[in-house]
Amino acid sequence: MIAPAYRKWQCTTCGEIYDEALGDAEGGIAPGTRFEDIPDGWMCPNCGATKDAYVLYEG
Amino acid sequence: MSDLTIPPELFAPVWNPASYKHREAVEDIFTTLRRDYPLAKVEVPGYDPHWVVTKYKDVREVSRLDEIFHSGDVSKTPVSKMAEQMLKDYSGGQPHIFRTLVHMDKPDHTEYRNVLKDIFMPQSIATLESSVRETVRGYIDRMAQKTECDFADEFAMLYPLEVICNLIGLPKEHHAIMLRLTQWFLSYADPDLCRPGSKLDDPEHQVRTWQIVYDEIKAYYDPVIADRQAHPRQDVASLIANGKINGKPMDERGMISYFVIASTAGHDTTAATMGNTMWILARNPELLARMKADPKLIPGFVEESIRISTPPMAFIRSATQDYELSGRQIRKGDRLYVSYLSANKDEEVFDDPFAFKPDRTPNRHIGFSYGSHICLGQHLARLEMRVLWEELIPRLESLEMAGEGKWQESEFVCGPKSVPIRYTMK
Repeated sequence: MIAPAYRKWQCTTCGEIYDEALGDAEGGIAPGTRFEDIPDGWMCPNCGATKDAYVLYEG
Repeated sequence: MSDLTIPPELFAPVWNPASYKHREAVEDIFTTLRRDYPLAKVEVPGYDPHWVVTKYKDVREVSRLDEIFHSGDVSKTPVSKMAEQMLKDYSGGQPHIFRTLVHMDKPDHTEYRNVLKDIFMPQSIATLESSVRETVRGYIDRMAQKTECDFADEFAMLYPLEVICNLIGLPKEHHAIMLRLTQWFLSYADPDLCRPGSKLDDPEHQVRTWQIVYDEIKAYYDPVIADRQAHPRQDVASLIANGKINGKPMDERGMISYFVIASTAGHDTTAATMGNTMWILARNPELLARMKADPKLIPGFVEESIRISTPPMAFIRSATQDYELSGRQIRKGDRLYVSYLSANKDEEVFDDPFAFKPDRTPNRHIGFSYGSHICLGQHLARLEMRVLWEELIPRLESLEMAGEGKWQESEFVCGPKSVPIRYTMK
């Protein structure tokens, strides 16, 4: 079975992109981490917005 | 344990616009504060007491918690108690003459920001790249016809001005008016840039000048607003003029102030960073050679230039409730002077913080602020700077200072007002 393609998510406050393929090294999120698997306490690395400020951007 | 109270004589120069003509001296004060008074109170005579927030971690925390640390309840910039009372008298009870995005809190801030949010998202800004590149090539071609120029005055102050004025929808013949009004607003204390007739040593006169400048900006924009309300176009002026807040038109001060923030913050801060960066390049031939050899460094070069420059240096917040910050008890009503200039040089976050490193990684500076008030125009600013250096650096064959650079005398938004350079170009 083929895993679904990685998606990109965007912070609606500042425009930062979370790319599931890349993860967020500074925030301790490993490459390949699906957005839904990111801990709820994670914050946008650019502006500090909470996870719920992100919307699906691509994928 | 560091001290709780900063000696006023140590801190007072930070609030004196004239101090910034020797900006290194101000940076030195913050280096001392980060070491000895990282989060402490200061009471400068004539002013309310303020917490001075100098550390990156604390600045981010205060900036992010915008319902605990309000932006709109007190003046955003340090003003004396007497001047703040005058601001209230002029504005009908507000602690500011202008009521821009930076002076607002939720829910108004969110509503106002939404009016322009979509067009400043990175995917929208990316569509402007070819026209911005064409604009900067024009400036570079004109620069190449000479061998000396004042890069701050002849280039940095004009190019982002032209970009933002085009976006707003202002005719080219009005760009100079907008530059003048911006300088009168943001560089009100600089003897070369302030509104003619300003009495720089009279705080009462300065507050009156802000009101005069507000009135002049309103007089400029009133016909623009009427035109765009009658005949909307594809421009920022039309979006603001027809913007709705909770389904209703913006109030007058909110709308005029929105034009102010778009047309002043939209170019002055970018100009400051460009001017400072050219100053750095002209004094560092190794850096120029490195950038010419490896253009892939340009995005990192841009980020580092923003961190080093940090043109909007600080904002004041006020606490809406008690809050413990880094072991200090902040009380409801306390004021906090939140220094982005200091945070971006925090030795605990940025190794060798005063060194310019285009390959600095990570480089999560907060030159565009942090939290919901993060700069709406950050992606436009990055685009303008990236295409400038992509186009200009390959054409520079030699570069040096042709005289002394000069900083603006401003304790709020600060950059160089003069960067005389000598160069040869392809």
